[in-house]
Amino acid sequence: MQPIVGVDIGGTFTDFVYFPGDEIHIYKLLSTKKDPSTAFLKGLDILDVTSDTLVSHGTTVATNAVLEHKGARTALITTEGFRDVLAIGRQTRPKLYRLSFSERWIPVPEDLRFEVSERVAADGTVLIPLDMAQVEQALDKALENGAEALAISLLFSFANPTHEQVIKQMALKRGLFVSVSSEILPEYREFERMSTTVINAYVSPIMDRYIGSLEEGLQRRGNCILWIMQSSGGIIGAATARSEAVRTALSGPAAGVTGAFHVASLAGYDHIITFDMGGTSSDVSLADGRIRRTAEGNIEGWPVRVPMIDIHTVGAGGGSIAWRDVGGSLRVGPESAGSEPGPACYRRGGRDFTVTDANLLLGRLDPEHFLGGRMSLDRAASEETASSLARKFGMSKVDLAEGVIRVANARMEQAIRVISIERGFDPRDFTLLPFGGAGPMHALEMADALHISRVLVPRYPGVLSALGLILADFVKDYSLTVMREMEEVTSGELTKAFEPLLARGKSDMASEGFEEENIVLEKALDLRYKGQSFELVVPIESYAVAEAVKSFHAGHEKRYGYARPDAPVELVNIRLTTRGVRQRPEAIYARRSTSSNPAAVVSQTQVRFGGAWHDAPVYERELLLPGHEIVGPALVAQEDATTVVSPGWHGRVDEWRNIVFIRRKGEG
Amino acid sequence: MIKADPVLLEIMKSLLTAVAEEMGGTLGRTGYSPNIKERRDFSCAVFDAKGDMTAQAAHIPVHLGAMPLSVKAALERFGSLAEGDIVVLNDPYAGGSHLPDITMVSPAYMDNKLLGYVASRAHHADVGGISPGSMPLAKEIFQEGLIIPPVKLQKGDEIDDSVLDLITRNSRTPAERRGDLSAQIAAQHIGIRRLQELAKRYSQELLRDYMAALQDYAERMVRDLIARMPDGRYTFRDYMDDDGFGNEDIPIVVTVSVEEDKLALDFTGTSPEVAGGINAVASVTLSAVFYVIRCLLTDDQVPTNAGIFRPVKIIAPEGTLVNARFPRAVAAGNVETSQRITDVVLGAFAQALPDIVPAASQGTMNNLTIGGDDPRTGGRFAYYETIAGGMGASAQADGLSGIHVHMTNTLNTPVEAMEYAYPLRVTRYEIRRGSGGAGKHHGGDGVYREVELLADATVTILSERRRHAPFGLFGGEPGNKGENRYFPAEGETLPPELKGLPEKDSYRVLPGKVTFPAAKGARVGIATPGGGGYGAPMKRR
Repeated sequence: MQPIVGVDIGGTFTDFVYFPGDEIHIYKLLSTKKDPSTAFLKGLDILDVTSDTLVSHGTTVATNAVLEHKGARTALITTEGFRDVLAIGRQTRPKLYRLSFSERWIPVPEDLRFEVSERVAADGTVLIPLDMAQVEQALDKALENGAEALAISLLFSFANPTHEQVIKQMALKRGLFVSVSSEILPEYREFERMSTTVINAYVSPIMDRYIGSLEEGLQRRGNCILWIMQSSGGIIGAATARSEAVRTALSGPAAGVTGAFHVASLAGYDHIITFDMGGTSSDVSLADGRIRRTAEGNIEGWPVRVPMIDIHTVGAGGGSIAWRDVGGSLRVGPESAGSEPGPACYRRGGRDFTVTDANLLLGRLDPEHFLGGRMSLDRAASEETASSLARKFGMSKVDLAEGVIRVANARMEQAIRVISIERGFDPRDFTLLPFGGAGPMHALEMADALHISRVLVPRYPGVLSALGLILADFVKDYSLTVMREMEEVTSGELTKAFEPLLARGKSDMASEGFEEENIVLEKALDLRYKGQSFELVVPIESYAVAEAVKSFHAGHEKRYGYARPDAPVELVNIRLTTRGVRQRPEAIYARRSTSSNPAAVVSQTQVRFGGAWHDAPVYERELLLPGHEIVGPALVAQEDATTVVSPGWHGRVDEWRNIVFIRRKGEG
Repeated sequence: MIKADPVLLEIMKSLLTAVAEEMGGTLGRTGYSPNIKERRDFSCAVFDAKGDMTAQAAHIPVHLGAMPLSVKAALERFGSLAEGDIVVLNDPYAGGSHLPDITMVSPAYMDNKLLGYVASRAHHADVGGISPGSMPLAKEIFQEGLIIPPVKLQKGDEIDDSVLDLITRNSRTPAERRGDLSAQIAAQHIGIRRLQELAKRYSQELLRDYMAALQDYAERMVRDLIARMPDGRYTFRDYMDDDGFGNEDIPIVVTVSVEEDKLALDFTGTSPEVAGGINAVASVTLSAVFYVIRCLLTDDQVPTNAGIFRPVKIIAPEGTLVNARFPRAVAAGNVETSQRITDVVLGAFAQALPDIVPAASQGTMNNLTIGGDDPRTGGRFAYYETIAGGMGASAQADGLSGIHVHMTNTLNTPVEAMEYAYPLRVTRYEIRRGSGGAGKHHGGDGVYREVELLADATVTILSERRRHAPFGLFGGEPGNKGENRYFPAEGETLPPELKGLPEKDSYRVLPGKVTFPAAKGARVGIATPGGGGYGAPMKRR
């Protein structure tokens, strides 16, 4: 198969996973914040990536443009009477019990929001024709006020896109980048559609320039093709990413979950809960044989209704700061020391006691081998910040440290309960898969609390995102609001409704180089009981209407606990996902022969669990081979992560060199 | 009082709040009507074995004080509740707030021992009465809908279908009611199960101890807050516009006394109860006070529970607007008077805490109900929603524009959703620029929402701040008053209700509270109030 390299740019490191055809090569470089492409291209040089390589890339360029308010200067044209839909949103305040808020950032400034006379009714009828002179005036004004991009979002444009198309053609002639609501998100609910369209206009020119500079660098290496990761966990071609960059706005955690899912599936577990613990927050998600997606994403408070992996984030991470509130409770977060200044033990000026400091005091981190020895941790500094806080509580430093871990774990456990129990899944039926630098340090204790009996720690917990980039499918999503009662819809009409989506999907996949036999088409209907305002996505195999209604009732029963077989069902949207299936690298990590010797213990240490110190052997991950066994309490040290094995857990290295931990019966 | 471990205190706080939140998640997901699913007009809470509230999820503020009283009312009526019982009620004079808010209360048992109670309250779109949506302009509670005193909907895990039938038969939308009541029952079950799991994991004793410890904890936080306020007496007075039946300029007065770490709020001097439905029952007044204290506690992780009220004494004389007696009408007391009580309490606190308390926000929910026959389907329709306005400015910032304030935070109905669902067309939805009061910091602007009727329909508006503007603070100017507009259809003969109304440009100015038959082709426009400004305008940079 064609050589492929995954490049994931994070805040601290840029990770590379390269598969030239035989085995996986892993490489890490410090990120170059000013111009991320510097580290990107340097890494490819070091790995000696040759021509005809696929370069699959996860980037936060779009995300950062929004978070830092550094997108393109964007104008908006909408229906007369509705230019404030963007500012009003859903009319709710972000916090219930707060008396004052700082001004809300709006991606389109007031002088760039324009109205034009026109109106389309719900059924697509034109009530008021488009006033072209007003459009010209708006475009003049937009250019005069320095707009680079234009979002076009008219009422009911998905029911009749003509007016939006006319404006689009006029704007293209004037040299503006154009984002059109009936193309980006042809679905009803004007604010969410407008927000998604505006964010797309805001980030796409930035992405366009970034990809331009990357492709320039890649061209010098010959015929390399650039792919970009979307929020949905699927890849798209660079050309699409340049004009639909909103699809990457929430892609940060997507590649990691995709990598985790493939690693676990290969090892034989496709029902997993992923747990990615970072410096300021932790992300959890659940896969029940497939990665679950949602379209309820937000960035900086702005709805982005494109498919994304269903991830729940909680504000607890390694840098979360412990403190005592006036009521006497031990709080952890939401303030975080982040990576700058970082925990006290980093000795970069951090004066607060953090989760990482607590782990260090409990013997769960090896101070000498942090980040493969690139950095050493200062235990004395952790002790010092602990002692003043411990005094306030009247407890010992180690008890404080254990308390901090218990509070942080409780927060993260709660996040796992939200994505499992609250969505109708029992966590006990799942394997917990921790990744990120800190995930494996907390995973086994959390599994105890959630009664999860299996934990899989992947071979490289720190580079799962880069790995996910070379394993992901090529995916494009299409949708359209139709709003009909199912009783009135015939299978012929349904067939006809899907035709334009299918035509577009097939041609998009063909232009990305996929042969017909490698394209999977997944069709679905968004259905609800008439009168409801939330829809259920019901996958369909055929256009049989009665069958779809039947599976809707069943799905409603499963998710919400009741069905109403006699109530009329409404078809809201039709959906199509096209999936370009690629040949995947077979050997994720080259298999090694099984060792018959017991695993080598490189040193001995003391780790605190449940209020007492335990002797614990330290294993070096590099030396662990398939068949090796580990009995808790123990530590497993590796360059990018430490695994804390609490008492009662028993691990075995599998043939891909993952460690699969099982809770021994009658314990934990 | 037990000596609480700071680690367990923190963990139990998050776990017990999570129980209430998960109940709310269940109710929101399984609810049937847009009012519950999309607007999320509901609340859930957990109580200890004595019936004192331990944790409430952050849902709708106007339910804050009413939730504790519903559990008390259920216990007063039945003495004690057995395992598997669910009590349902909406009687504003026995644990309710206004009739559309239906509350369920269940005990949670384990091994025959009472762990505590769980309660859920949801705004049901129709519980009968003289107008669709059950938010009428009425003179006595009997006209407002079905009154449900505390009754057992479920006994020993067995649902009493006759009670369910009685409730649904009294609604214009029975199937929707059944769906929403089922969702509430599901939420009750989840709450009970989660409490049992906590008892199993941590032991019943520990759970009980920490349910109490969390109330002590919240009490400490509130005492700390009060202790930091300057001692003194602070009085504030504001007015309700009218009651919809000709009584105008109805005063609400409060005197807040701060003494060390204790607080008293005395509403003596407030108007007697009135004919129209702007009367607030005691629980609504409690909610408004609860809300203000909850906001003053800037730490948003403080559990919302009975401990907050221990250092606070409320004097609300019986028979006044803030503690109405049966059988006064109360529909608007919950949505409109609750906002004014909040304004008045904040106005008093502003004298003690000028850097924290903002100027008056819009002070109304602008309740708009349009109902009638839908010519597209041949069935009936009832559209109800509340419309955002301006937020008051503060020492720190301008007020937000087009936002729901204080006692509510429900979502709007998307224009496109509205036009699919009802024979209505939205013709304008925009910010009312310049409607916020000027000041060093400006008040937020109100909005203007205009709807065209595509069929003859009955229109009901319950709104405030059409006569008395939202006040500014410390030299800030008041926000603009709201205005309700009617643009008659071409050639329409105005109904008697609208005769003699002031005429402006192309529209008639409607009263703040009105119900009338409107013609196809006419338009109703609601211009909502702006927030008050803070500080003298000349100090603005």
